[in-house]
Amino acid sequence: MRIKSRWLAILLTLGLVLAACSPSGDEGTETTEGSTATTEGSTETTEAMTSTTGGAMDIATDVGVDLEAGTITIGLLSDLTGPFSATVQPIVTGHEIYWDNVNANGGIHGMQVVLDTVDTGYVVDTHVQKYEELKDQVVAFGHSTGSPHTMAINDQLQTDGILALPLTWYSGWSDDAINANLIHHGVPYCLEAMNVLGYLVDQMGDAASTIAIASMAGDYGLDSYAGAKQAAETLGLNIVYEGEGAIDIADEATLTQVAGDIVGSGADLVWVTTTPTAFSSIFGQALAQGFTATWSGAGPTYNPAFIAPDSPIKDAIAAQTYWSAYYGLWDMDTPGVEEAKQLILDSGRFDAPTSYPIEGFVEGTIMRAALEKAYENGDMTQAGVLAAAKSLESVDLNGLGPDEAYVGSNNEQVQRYSAAIWKPDPEALASGASSGEQVLETNYSNAITQAYEFDSACYQFGS
Amino acid sequence: MRGRPLLYTTYRADQALMNTGSKKIILGAFLLVVVLIPLGILPGISFLSQSDWLRLLSTVCIYGIGALGLNILTGLAGQVSLGHSFFMGVGAYTAAWLGAAPGPLAGLGLPMWIWLPAAGVVAALVGVAVGPTAVRVRGLYLAFVTLGLVFVGIYVFRNWAWLSGGSQSGREFPPFQLRLWKEEVPLIDFTSDGSWFGIQLSGEAKTFYFVLALLIVFVVLAKNLQRTRVGRAFQSIRDRDVAAEIVGVDEFGYKLLAFGISSFYAGVAGALLASFVGRTIPERWDLFLAVIFIAIVLIGGAGVVTGTLLGSVFVIILPRVVEDFTSWLATFVQDGSGPLAWLGDLFISTGQGDWGLVNTQAGVAPGLSVAQFNQVLYGLLIIGFLIFEPLGLYGIWLRIRNYWKGWPFTY
Repeated sequence: MRIKSRWLAILLTLGLVLAACSPSGDEGTETTEGSTATTEGSTETTEAMTSTTGGAMDIATDVGVDLEAGTITIGLLSDLTGPFSATVQPIVTGHEIYWDNVNANGGIHGMQVVLDTVDTGYVVDTHVQKYEELKDQVVAFGHSTGSPHTMAINDQLQTDGILALPLTWYSGWSDDAINANLIHHGVPYCLEAMNVLGYLVDQMGDAASTIAIASMAGDYGLDSYAGAKQAAETLGLNIVYEGEGAIDIADEATLTQVAGDIVGSGADLVWVTTTPTAFSSIFGQALAQGFTATWSGAGPTYNPAFIAPDSPIKDAIAAQTYWSAYYGLWDMDTPGVEEAKQLILDSGRFDAPTSYPIEGFVEGTIMRAALEKAYENGDMTQAGVLAAAKSLESVDLNGLGPDEAYVGSNNEQVQRYSAAIWKPDPEALASGASSGEQVLETNYSNAITQAYEFDSACYQFGS
Repeated sequence: MRGRPLLYTTYRADQALMNTGSKKIILGAFLLVVVLIPLGILPGISFLSQSDWLRLLSTVCIYGIGALGLNILTGLAGQVSLGHSFFMGVGAYTAAWLGAAPGPLAGLGLPMWIWLPAAGVVAALVGVAVGPTAVRVRGLYLAFVTLGLVFVGIYVFRNWAWLSGGSQSGREFPPFQLRLWKEEVPLIDFTSDGSWFGIQLSGEAKTFYFVLALLIVFVVLAKNLQRTRVGRAFQSIRDRDVAAEIVGVDEFGYKLLAFGISSFYAGVAGALLASFVGRTIPERWDLFLAVIFIAIVLIGGAGVVTGTLLGSVFVIILPRVVEDFTSWLATFVQDGSGPLAWLGDLFISTGQGDWGLVNTQAGVAPGLSVAQFNQVLYGLLIIGFLIFEPLGLYGIWLRIRNYWKGWPFTY
């Protein structure tokens, strides 16, 4: 026993020493040299030949753009193992397919775009730490998953002068009090609620006179709640249940409570913003009590599993729910989506049709526009790409989603168009050729959303 | 008499913090190395001066302070606690209330020399307040009582939005800036680049020095506590509570005191962690955080200050090492041949259809992601250490030390 455990101790120690020294040691020194080199390089302007355009051009670079190697590195702060991994993983794959295609077709003026994807696990601490690891290697962040997470690096982004595209639809990303280094994409949660409720009341006419609204806490739930409430007031709906932040996804009892309150209110319309799991629980409990209404909620509330062939609620979901999209859906036929679909199918990386990777294409397209503009300006430094993105008067998404703009007041910049209004279609999903999203409207906005004066974020983050 | 090992002629010498000369030399050299790290002038480990590594090292110091607190309660006084993260949360929100700039959320804008100690004091008071329920039970039951604290805490933090910023949104915490009172320009700013004594330092380096200094203070306090009447009372309760009471140790009082001191450490660590990250959601102070601290204490070696520090370094740095190791192996796999490429190919999977234990592309390649692999590793390490090396990393160090002490006549 004595000898055995001594050997074990030596073995373990040796293992630790090996693990600690070799990999990090080698890599560490390399990067140190690399980073000193780039810091030096940041002040001077590097001259380079651009292979595709043929002419010589002065391009300033610092971090993440290597003119000699011909590479541009973009960072992705992704949740690959946390609660949203099932959504974010295919989005990252979409990014990869998008850039593979761009690179195969000449890249950005001959330069190949490389993605540096890191897993944040949807933990704020990890997000900040990973940001720190990437900031000296990437020219910009192609996405940053999570609102509190992005808020946590926001000050640092401003200090370092780096651009990031938040992968959430919080309305604050269009608010210049917050977004000096951020660019939004897609309709924000609160305007989304106005779009969908306006559409539904349009369709239902007099059949819609009362509404029940419930949400979880956090920017996602409360931003959406604020929009739904605003829409209900504008539309003259009678709000019969207000469950602001009433849903606690970790506490099943609150789900039962909210379901009971919704049933008790007897509302014609129900707006619920939460996670898919919580929604299916609330919806299922209300259904079991014989309650029927027209249901909807913010986009991330829905999950294709609702209408999977073995789902017990698939028929009720198909009959009673309507949803909207921030970015293009698989079942849309705009040129951008058609092209994306072809590339996704060719890549062979998805077994079944899904809309998630299209979000990767949207993020990629916006980032590409920023990089192209920075190239034209002759400044591909981190600050140069940021300035270029912030000067984009229009980003043409070719139907992948609504076009974006990043100049002007908050009210001028904010996105008012939902990419689509749609309803679930279990039969189409079962056929295997569709993502089960039957598109009712594309690029949709309405009078309420258009008239809404967007001065600042609908829900304010605590500071 | 000088130079003879383990021969002490006075009680003072026997109880000294550093009872041998070599300890003094080694500690001095180690401290010098640590202090020089941010300057990046040390050959071989200059990569540690990069901002991301400095952040990791600062994290180690902060977790070290928290773990020292748990070590006093669990390692020294023998009271198992799963509620450490709750006390960290109490400390963090005390710091926010007192230190954050006034606004829609709680914040009085007081300077750091108030909010940082207050975070510890309030957490200690809460610890003493909930103590009486906890000290009546022991072992598994105590674990459950303290586990309950975590859930009560998260519930309160989530719903007290004025204080915490609310579930899933969180709030900002006061930065590491030392002010005399509420003046505009801080006396010392530990977060922004600048020069100290003519040496240009990054904000990360300053933060590291700040938390390192605090860690050293807390280490000395913990070391001294062990050597006092209180420390001996804690250990007697740990070793046999009934016997301790028979010889006159006030079991109830000392258990309460252990809770209080441990909570003080936790409160300070919580305030530091929240301030360090800058923005934190109420769900941060959950059971997993408490388990990380238990892992630190168990892996490092329960009841030993040095072990706790070793554990902090190990647990915080391990994920990064695994990550770097995996990507390092991946370069060999991509480059092609050699034994390392072959081994690496067995260990990692780089894409669809490439089987391996750990993948470099979460969600695409089969196998565990690096983060998942880390969690499995934590579990295995806790089990492994409990069974094979209850003294933890410190036990391994002791064994190595004792082996070389008698070398070459070790038997």
